[in-house]
Amino acid sequence: MSAPESQSLQRTARLRSFHELMQERVQRILLVSSAYDSFIMSEEGHLHETLLSQFVELNLGQTPDLVQVTSASEALDLLAADDRFDLVVSSLYAGDANAAEMARRLHQKECRVPVMALAYTGNELREFVESNDTSDLERVFLWQGDVRIFLAMVMYLEDRLNAENDTGARGVPAIIVVEDNPRYYSAFLPAIYTELYRHTHRLLSEDLNISQKMMRMRARPKVLLATTFEEAWETFERYPDQVLGVISDVEYPRGGESDPRAGIELCSRAAAARPDIRLVLQSSDPANRALADEIGASFLLKGSPLLLHQLREILVDRFGFGDFAFRDAGRSVIDRATGLRSLCEKLATVPDESIAYHAQRNHFSNWLKARTEFALAERFRPRTIEEFGGVSGLRAHLLSEVQEYRRERNRTLIVDFDANRFDPEISFTRIGEGSLGGKARGVAFANRVLYTTGIQAEFPDVEIHTPPSVVLATEVFEQFLEYEGLRDYTLSERSDEEIVAHFLEAPFPREAARGLRAFLQRVRYPLAIRSSSLLEDSLSQPFAGVYRTFMLPNNDRELDARWNQLAHAVKRVYASAFTQQAKTYLSMTSFRLEEERMGVMLQALAGRQRGDLFYPDFAGVARSYNFYPEPGQSSEDGVAAVALGLGHTVVGGDPCLRFCPRDPQHIIGHSSVEDALQNSQREFFALDLTRETREQALAGTQRYPLSLAEQEDGPLAWLGATYIPEDHRIVDGIARPGVRLVNFAQVLKHGAFPLAAILDTLLGRCAEGTGGPVEIEFAGNLGTANRKAEFAFLQMRPLALTREFAHVDLDGITAEQTVCRSARVLGNGRIEDIRDLVVVDAMSFERQKSPEVAVHVARFDAQLRNLKRPYALIGVGRWGSADPSLGIPVSWNQIAGARVIVESGFRDLKVAPSQGAHFFQNLTSGNVGYFTVNPDSGEGELDWDWLTGLPAEEVRDSVKRIRLAAPILVLMSGEAGEGAILKPDGAAG
Amino acid sequence: MQDYVETLMDKVEAKNPAEPEFHQAVREVAESLVLVFQKHPEYLSARILERMIEPERVIMFRVPWMNDDGDIQVNRGFRIEMNSAIGPYKGGLRFHSSVNLSILKFLAFEQVFKNSLTTLPMGGGKGGSDFNPKRKSDDEVMRFCQSFMTELHRHIGPDTDVPAGDIGVGGREIGFLFGQYKRLANEFTGVLTGKGLNWGGSRIRPEATGYGAVYFAREMLKTRDETFEDKTCLISGSGNVAQYAAEKLLELGAKPITLSDSSGYIHDPDGIDSEKLAFVMELKNVRRGRISEYADQYSGAEYSERDASLDHDPMWAIDADCAFPCATQNEISEADAKAMLGNDVYLVSEGANMPTVAEGVTHFLEAGILYGPGKAANAGGVAVSGLEMAQNSMRYSWQREEIDSRLQIIMSEIHTSCIEAAERFGTPGNYVNGANIAGFLKVADSMLDQGLV
Repeated sequence: MSAPESQSLQRTARLRSFHELMQERVQRILLVSSAYDSFIMSEEGHLHETLLSQFVELNLGQTPDLVQVTSASEALDLLAADDRFDLVVSSLYAGDANAAEMARRLHQKECRVPVMALAYTGNELREFVESNDTSDLERVFLWQGDVRIFLAMVMYLEDRLNAENDTGARGVPAIIVVEDNPRYYSAFLPAIYTELYRHTHRLLSEDLNISQKMMRMRARPKVLLATTFEEAWETFERYPDQVLGVISDVEYPRGGESDPRAGIELCSRAAAARPDIRLVLQSSDPANRALADEIGASFLLKGSPLLLHQLREILVDRFGFGDFAFRDAGRSVIDRATGLRSLCEKLATVPDESIAYHAQRNHFSNWLKARTEFALAERFRPRTIEEFGGVSGLRAHLLSEVQEYRRERNRTLIVDFDANRFDPEISFTRIGEGSLGGKARGVAFANRVLYTTGIQAEFPDVEIHTPPSVVLATEVFEQFLEYEGLRDYTLSERSDEEIVAHFLEAPFPREAARGLRAFLQRVRYPLAIRSSSLLEDSLSQPFAGVYRTFMLPNNDRELDARWNQLAHAVKRVYASAFTQQAKTYLSMTSFRLEEERMGVMLQALAGRQRGDLFYPDFAGVARSYNFYPEPGQSSEDGVAAVALGLGHTVVGGDPCLRFCPRDPQHIIGHSSVEDALQNSQREFFALDLTRETREQALAGTQRYPLSLAEQEDGPLAWLGATYIPEDHRIVDGIARPGVRLVNFAQVLKHGAFPLAAILDTLLGRCAEGTGGPVEIEFAGNLGTANRKAEFAFLQMRPLALTREFAHVDLDGITAEQTVCRSARVLGNGRIEDIRDLVVVDAMSFERQKSPEVAVHVARFDAQLRNLKRPYALIGVGRWGSADPSLGIPVSWNQIAGARVIVESGFRDLKVAPSQGAHFFQNLTSGNVGYFTVNPDSGEGELDWDWLTGLPAEEVRDSVKRIRLAAPILVLMSGEAGEGAILKPDGAAG
Repeated sequence: MQDYVETLMDKVEAKNPAEPEFHQAVREVAESLVLVFQKHPEYLSARILERMIEPERVIMFRVPWMNDDGDIQVNRGFRIEMNSAIGPYKGGLRFHSSVNLSILKFLAFEQVFKNSLTTLPMGGGKGGSDFNPKRKSDDEVMRFCQSFMTELHRHIGPDTDVPAGDIGVGGREIGFLFGQYKRLANEFTGVLTGKGLNWGGSRIRPEATGYGAVYFAREMLKTRDETFEDKTCLISGSGNVAQYAAEKLLELGAKPITLSDSSGYIHDPDGIDSEKLAFVMELKNVRRGRISEYADQYSGAEYSERDASLDHDPMWAIDADCAFPCATQNEISEADAKAMLGNDVYLVSEGANMPTVAEGVTHFLEAGILYGPGKAANAGGVAVSGLEMAQNSMRYSWQREEIDSRLQIIMSEIHTSCIEAAERFGTPGNYVNGANIAGFLKVADSMLDQGLV
């Protein structure tokens, strides 16, 4: 027996002991988070079951137990009493202590359970890492809307614990990932593990029995995460022969300092030691691509919308996770092998040069190893052409080895999987696999709040419910995009219209279409077709108004007609994920376009038919936290905005009625006749049931004058008021002739419907469930003689608020030092890195040009964003106004680069942000500082003289882009709602 | 003579410290009356002005009330009974946080002359409270009004003092105040004006100011033997005053060609006819839309956005015969006044309060055009208040036509007294002097007649 053969046999013998792999398992997890935080991760509200299903698929039987507590002190108590936990996963802030603090206390008590922290937003994570000592934490991860992060955390820990045994002693291959930024490894690890899982899953179907299957799962390559050069190199040196490849960032700490060439150095060293190792460099600087080419590494551009897609491709192509690609000497692919059987076939037919090319580079062995065919990989590994006296000898050897190996294990197994699921517990049904998406998740949570907190019993006269919904889960979207390169098409530079047109032509996935048609057969009420994307609503990114919503009458006599309407609407919602607006919006979040997946919710439209119109008596938005409380009210009293008809009035920023649910007698902005006339709703939105179906799908809903809500027993009789010009007064009700207004007097003052009480109760319960402030959407119908009053709870999302108010001292700042000072400020903390200003000059600004001004502002925004320079946006009127005469009609994405926004009143118009509007939602969640000043009425100050005197880098009409020599200092006290912006010299002094 | 004014002012300031608004009002009136005193020293020796600047009575009182949370609030109530030489005290109640003694005395003093000018038997007064109805619930406003009237009722009456509304006191507040007065006095009388039509209010209230400005202009035209037939008219504003000025102008055969709002103006060279005016009324009163929609609706019209950076408003440079500033104060700048004169606009009748800056007024007066200052031309609103009192006293409610015809008579009488006074004191055709002096003379002469009061 030759030396290599005996070595091979030893290895084979060693690898027969699969069951000894992965001995360290995570079997009990303690989750420390509020009810809503865990709800974020598991839409049905059963995190354990979600995890279970994932582990069932992945680990075949081994599933961890999950115990959940809602505060750090509970966790500490539990861990002290019970030592069987293998992992603690905690929200950054869990009740009485943060995750770092909890870990420190555990370690002080000699409890060695690893603690991982999970952040829900990038901002939260950054704040947390900056202000806490995280050395006691195992790792910090960032939630990105995908429950697989949980699996990644568990697998990461298991891999780390088992590496020594499995990789070191038993030769299981490993991939080293070097990345020091939690945002990226939190995205990479789930992606890599998913790919490993898919890959392994493909293998399972090939030729294994159950026990072998389990072994195969356990022998999947390990992923070892390192965050410094030293850590990475040490890992490599420990398992030099087992490392399949290295996926490395370019710049990360080496010798305690950030080294811009750390990744290059690591890869070069690894390549010198193991010429066949796979190398991948990733960087946010495209210039590093050349460096990667030099050392023969693949390159991934961070921030590329295709990052994860490319990562997957590299894993498949270069790490042997996909087909074996036979190449000729010129490296072109000439043939592929998908499995062992086809490898056999191809080995017999491909040209000599290809065999030689791959054998010399050890490709066969690496491919087999990645497929957990270690025994065969070992047999292949030491072979060179010379040993066989030429290529034909080598080819014969390879063939015989593979054939023999296959004969040994020639069995088959069938893998089947679930199709549609239905959960009768909640009032919605799901079609397709994958996630429900953010909005549907919010509805599910809303539903749970209703059923678990017994609100219905408190309001026996009102039927409180969430409208029945069917959700097309995200996999349907994925399937839809699979059609003939649709996905690639979306990534190309196409206009929104082109994308829509292309989408409308693509066929609907067949399985889902069957389900939807069945649904339509049973359902004939009007439907709201809403986007429910993976990222939407779930985090501090509300994506408010970014994706499309359609209303369908769904009343055609022909099923086919209704189906066509529906399919069109769904496809349009899908297409809205790829509009310019959506792309820009995503670019300002920490997410990439490809991470976004679109679910679609088909919700019964809450409302009643009156004549040809369909609309609810009222609809609105309420928040448990009021950013601008009225005197005598506190922020925690909340605020609601309601309108007659569909909620478009509120979210679109039209005049609507605002009140505090705990103080409904005080209608905000209606205390004088003039104010009431100015702020009253005058039109309402409704769905016209008679319009041509196709046109309807395009137009959605329409505005109608209030007089239509007076007809057909409309709700104006209950919600309306009348302005009597002769007496210059407003009276409740519409008994007298005059101008119709909406003031909800019968509801708010006279108890025709317990709206304020329901809202207050719901907001309270939801805030309890989420452990933080919330925003809810609702619609309702008043009771009639033969119909019970109805309150539809449409949506719930957590409100983004800074959780910890760093103390910011505004005392002692003089008027000379400040550019701007206001007692109406959103935001908290100090911003010290702004040197750029975009200023709409109050003196030269002309209202009639506000649309042009919006274009200039957007252009400057794009410039500065390209340069990655945050800026302060200062201007007059209401930013984002739909009415150009009230302010500059920018959309949210057009000023996405602004870190601070100042809005100043016109001489004759005070500004007040409308809190229900989408613009405002996006604003508050974007963590953008927001200053409201009305210098003419003594609300805050703005030093126009100083601003006007600054030299501009570029001027367009009345818009100036200014680059300052030194940064301004922005101080915002979140507690007091006050803030100041200091001039550069003032900041220095 | 200037010495007289300065000496008077020194005394006023010493006696009424910390009342800057009141000082200012006294100085302006004193200076405008120099002409009168030079010609008629008897007013000086009778110390008429010294008497007029001292209110006949000032009432200050506590107004305690309870808010919706059950917290106790205390505000201060005022009633300045300035002058009753020609009729019961008459003047508005103002509820606003800025209300104090100085401001109310200033307003009450001016009210004396304004009311006198209407030729109706109304003295002057003013009142109110530092209560701010903003952000108060209906219930809170009602409780405040009831508490306010609980004290005030003993000082007022249909033949003593008849308050009206002002800032912060609209139809709602008048209703609450009236209801409480009625309970306390146990009588239904016209103790307040601005009441609802069903319970003693007058018709034509929204129309009065706009109609009045046009009637006053008609009188001015008559002095030149002209009528409104085919006259092109500029109107600024698009609220009540502008709308009803336009309506009356159409009725009288004129051609209004502009209207405006805070965002800009429309120019319709074909004229704003009744149908188009109905559209504007629906647009502004019901839909609260922008005037720009007019231009979208009627293709002949052109809309121009307001340009705040200019020192003038291009609307006033449009070729026309007459102008009716009905929007806001200081809307006609000096440059606008010059542009109008350059375009041969020869009649300006002010529907708004002080719409022309002082320099502009000087240009109008120097050019000798027909310039009707606001205090005369927009007296239609006050006049209808007087007519409401008259109707209440008669226990009768006049129909529209009746009130409209009386309004025409009143505006014509105001015009006559202005013309006569201006003539008498050597500034013929100067309606500004005429209005100032006519208002004063009627009160002064009545006081002389009534002995040392």
